[in-house]
Order: sequence, then structure tokens, then C-alpha cells
Amino acid sequence: MNATQPQTPALSVHNLSVSYESNPVLRSIAFSVEPGLLVGIIGPNGAGKSTLLKATLGLIRIDNGQVRVFDQPIDAVRRRVAYVPQTGAVDWDFPVTVLDVVLMGRSTELRWKLWPGARDREKAFAALERVGMADYSRRHIRRLSGGQQQRVFLARALCQGADLMLLDEPFAGVDAATERAIFNLIDALTNEGRTVIVVNHDLSILSRFDRVVMVNQRLIAFGPPEVVVNEDNLKLTYGGRLSLLDRAEAALRPEEVVKA
Amino acid sequence: MTLTLASTIAEWSQWSRPFTSEWWLTAACAALVGTACGILGCFVVLRRMALIGDALSHAVLPGVVIAFLLMAHFGIDVASPTGVVGLMAGALVAGLTTSVLVSVVSRQSRSKEDSAIGIVFTALFAVGVILISFLPRGTHFDLKCFLFGDFLAVGAADFVMLLIVTAVVVASTAVLYHPLKVVSFDPTLAAALGLPVMLVHYVMMGVLSATVVAGLTTAGVVMVVAMVITPASAAYHLTNRLWVMLVLAAIFGAVSGVVGMSLAFVFNAPTGPMMVVIASGIFAMAALFSPSHGLVFDRLRRRRMSRHFAGEDVLKAVYRLGEMGQPTDVPGVAQAAGLSLGRTHTLAEALGREALLKVVNGELSLTQAGRQRASEMVRAHRLWESYLASQTAVGYDSLHDQAERLEHAHTLSDELSRELGDPTLDPQGKPIPPASG
Repeated sequence: MNATQPQTPALSVHNLSVSYESNPVLRSIAFSVEPGLLVGIIGPNGAGKSTLLKATLGLIRIDNGQVRVFDQPIDAVRRRVAYVPQTGAVDWDFPVTVLDVVLMGRSTELRWKLWPGARDREKAFAALERVGMADYSRRHIRRLSGGQQQRVFLARALCQGADLMLLDEPFAGVDAATERAIFNLIDALTNEGRTVIVVNHDLSILSRFDRVVMVNQRLIAFGPPEVVVNEDNLKLTYGGRLSLLDRAEAALRPEEVVKA
Repeated sequence: MTLTLASTIAEWSQWSRPFTSEWWLTAACAALVGTACGILGCFVVLRRMALIGDALSHAVLPGVVIAFLLMAHFGIDVASPTGVVGLMAGALVAGLTTSVLVSVVSRQSRSKEDSAIGIVFTALFAVGVILISFLPRGTHFDLKCFLFGDFLAVGAADFVMLLIVTAVVVASTAVLYHPLKVVSFDPTLAAALGLPVMLVHYVMMGVLSATVVAGLTTAGVVMVVAMVITPASAAYHLTNRLWVMLVLAAIFGAVSGVVGMSLAFVFNAPTGPMMVVIASGIFAMAALFSPSHGLVFDRLRRRRMSRHFAGEDVLKAVYRLGEMGQPTDVPGVAQAAGLSLGRTHTLAEALGREALLKVVNGELSLTQAGRQRASEMVRAHRLWESYLASQTAVGYDSLHDQAERLEHAHTLSDELSRELGDPTLDPQGKPIPPASG
């Protein structure tokens, strides 16, 4: 090992392709993130942003390519990776309290100990304290506002003690004050050396990220916002798909090829 | 005389028909079926798998019949312990085949999951019914008993089988409570945390199949489905804690089992349907009268809220009419508040009892407390109008209508005022009353 060797990337994606029922969702995505950075993933609806997170977590089958987390396959480092799904994907009528949800983050630490103990509760309360939700620990999750729900999910990721955090639209349905609070928390986390990757809809806050991944099925650009966020790239990201490539995909479907 | 005595005894013996040794056995079986189904049902209901529970119970038939055929072929007695294990194995294989087939059909074909479930379970059930006709002569397989249960057929073997299955269900739920909660709440998150989501799913399907078979003679497959879904749904209405839901569902299941079974004894009716009728009754009560999620209390809360709002509207109307020097009799207030005469009258009386309002010679006047409340309302109304006018593109005409609703959220007034820089006039130039004490 010599000193000039670059740090192990927190996340590296090589030539990643994913499809749902033979419709391509992601095509040949490649980028690599150094530890301690705040990364924003942006793109229009259906661009494959959430799919990119799920592929990173090994939750969906990938067609091609490779994802490595801290230079290892995801299954080897699950304990170091926290995931915050979109709040819309959750059943808010499920009979659990705020504390129950936060304790779920301890699942990776519990291993053969099946019930969370006093230490896990301590960690959960500390995490709730950090997101300013300690007073709500016994409340049912239905009785929270959108911003509070997000903060509870963040607390769950926090009490997992992960080094890489993947957040799917944490700013959706959140008021300005909560957005500020979440950003402050994320900044604190990256200052501690953690890597935070955020799927994000709001283009007005791009300058706050260290790196931006602009994606629309394909990787349009990856780099510091001041370099890659420009009119051309935004047009490519949001201005519809690259139609010739779409037509090429269509021409390569089995029924088309066999007909020809 | 003798006739009456005889009929009295006959009548009495009808009600004492329970509490025989036969009753004790079947009642114990029913309680066990109810407990196991209630607990499993919580996960089935929360994971929205009610349909697959239905499918599973029907699709167990071919598994049981094939086990029957095989054991008849090898000369094993079905009622012997080996026979019971054989039936159980057949059911487990059939149950797992169902859940695998359902996911294969819904993923690999164009059919959606609900259609896939419908196709798979009817196909397997049909195969089972056809296979029954291939059973060797002399084998007794009662399809009606399979479907609806028959307490006359309940024996010691059923009891032992149910005891084992229920013990497994209770113990595994207690030990795996935490991971089960995570997997049921959010399978995606559970997978991200590295929990074996698919394994849990198939184990649960397996245990459900075993429970269905164990409860077969007691309740019958069709009715077992209800015992899985109904007590758990009743419990779901009553609590926001998973462990409470599990305990309640087990109790509801056991109670419907025992009561249903006993009534079946008394009226000589089929057991399964009786148990389900009781369970459905419990569900109806829970859905109607649950303090937090029940229909009745929900309606009551809504009515109380609308009464509260109407009362506030009356106070405000009296205040504003007084401000403008107009008469504050009931008709005037009713018109200003947009309420009927009768309603206004009732509300005025109620507000009088709360010492917010006085009625003197048909004229309504505010007490000190009433004036304060009304001024809070007016303040909230005018602040909301200012807020809407400055923060949104709401038209001038609808400002008032929207503020009319928002003013009832007057606890936010201070925050609102601060946000607006403590204005003293609303968009129409009317004074905004200052915050009261």
C-alpha cells in the first residue's frame, strides 16, 4: 500500500443495467463515490432513481454490471449500509409505534439475539433525540406529519450506525423547516465521514450536494454540481429520452427480432 | 305433568349437551384452532395476504388426497400417528406448491397476482376433487367434512396434532417476534437489512398449511380461512401495538372456537360455520365500537367536532353583529352564522351552560369568556385571510370561505401572526384583534 493510492470508494457502480419485464430501466450506469460525500441523484419520474438505490442494495436482479460497497459485495457489508425508503411505500396503519420503527434499524446488530435489549433501546432513543423526535417515541406512526415520518425513518437509519446511507426522496412532502433540519443532520453525518446518497426531486438545492448523479435511464452526468449542472445536461436529463436509443431498444425486443 | 317434566329434561339436556367428555375434547380442539389461526391471521392480514390464505386452504386438498392414496397403497392406517404425519406432509407440500406457483404465475406470465391466486387454487382444488374418485373402494373421504368440519369426526389424534401445531405457532411467534415485525412492516427494508424475507414467507405459508390441515376436521377448510382472517381483523381495529393485536386475535379466535363449538353441540349444527358466525360477530362489534378505529365513535367524534365548530360560529356571529350594532336575536345570529333557527337555539342553550353566552329577552350576549373566544376566532379568521392573500394566489372571493374553515384552527394564531410580522389590519382593512391574555 502506498500513500498515493486512492481511498476505497464507499460505493462504486460499474456498467450497471437493470430491466423490469424486459423494459430497460437503467442502462450502463457507472460512477464511484468517495467516503464522506453527500451525493444527490436527480432525474425525471421513471428515470430509474429508486431502481438505482435498490440495485445498490441488491434488492432487485441486475441484468449486467456490478455494484461494490466499500469494495465488497453488498451482502458482506449490509450492517454498514442503511436504507430509507420512500414514505409512500409504507403501510402507515401498521400497528407499530415510533420506537418500534426505530428499533427495526437494530435488526442487523441483533443477529442471533432476537429481541432488542436495553442497549438497543438506548441507541434508538439517542437517534430519536438527534432528529428531535424523542417526545414522540410511544406515538403510533399514523399520527405523525409527513416531516415527522421522514425524521423517524432517518432515526432508524441513524441507530443502525451505518457508514453509507441511501435515502429515497427524504424531502418529499416535507415543509421548509424540516427540509432544513434534515439537511443539517445530513451535513453532520458527512462531517463524521459517513457517505449519504439522496434521491432528490428539488432542483433548487442541487448546489448543496458534493456530487450530483444526473440520470435518465442512462447516466447523463456525474460530478460536482458547479461542473455538471448546466442547461445542456438538464435538458438531456429532463428533456425526454434519447429517442434513437429507445428505438434501438424497441427493435431489440424478441417479438420484433423474430418478426424480422 | 310427566310430559312437561320429560320435555323439561329434554330441553335441559339439550343445553347440558356440552360438558360431556366429547364436548371437552372438541372444545379444546376449537380453542386451539382459534388460537393458532388468530395469531397467524395477524401476519396474513397485515401483509395483505388474505386471498393467498384462502387459496392455500383449498389447495391443501390434493396434497391430503395424494397422501391418502399413497398411504392406502402402502397399507398405512390414516388414523395412526404415521398416517397423521403423512397427511401433514401432503398438506405442507401442497401449501408450498401453491405459494410457489402463485409467485411463478404472477411473475412469469401476464396475469396479475389476484388472477394468479384464483387460477392456481381452483386448479389444485379441482385436481384434489378428481383424485378423490381414484381413492380405493372402502376408503372413507368425506368432502363435506373437509369443507365444513364435523365435530363427530374429531378424535384424540386431531387434538394432539392441534396441540403441536399451536405450540409451534405460539413459540415461533414469540421467539421471532422482532424479525417477523420488520419483515411484515416493510419487506423491502427487511431485505435491505439482510433479513431472509423469502424464507420467512415460505415458512409462514408452510405453518399456515399445517394449521389448516390440523384444524380440518374441527372447522373445515372453507371456515378455517375465516378463522384466520376474521379474529385478526377484529383485533386490528382495537389496537396500535402488534403484540396486543396478536394476543387479542388469539383470544378472539379461541373464544369463537369454543362458543361456536358449544352452540353447534346445542343446536346440532355444523361446527365450522358456528365458529365463523361468532368470529364475524366479534369482528362486527370491533369494527363498530372500537374506541379508536370504530365506526360509531368515529361518527360521534365527527358530530362533536361539527357541533364545536358550529358553536364557535355562533359566538363569532354574536360578536360581529354586536360590532356592527345589529340585533343579536336568534334569527339574526342564525342568518349570520349560516345555521338553522332550531340548531342556533340548541347551540345557544349549550353555550349558555358553558357560560360563554347569555340569553336575555331573546337577545344573545357574550360573557367575558365568550367574548374572548369570539375575538380569538375573529383574530384567526383575519390572520388566515392575510396569510392566504400574501402566500397564495387564492382569489379575493374565496379568501373568506377558506378562512371560515381555517379559523377553527385558532391555536395556530400566534405562530401565524409572527410569520406575517404581526399585522394589525386584514386584507380588507378590518382590524385584527390582539392576542388575548
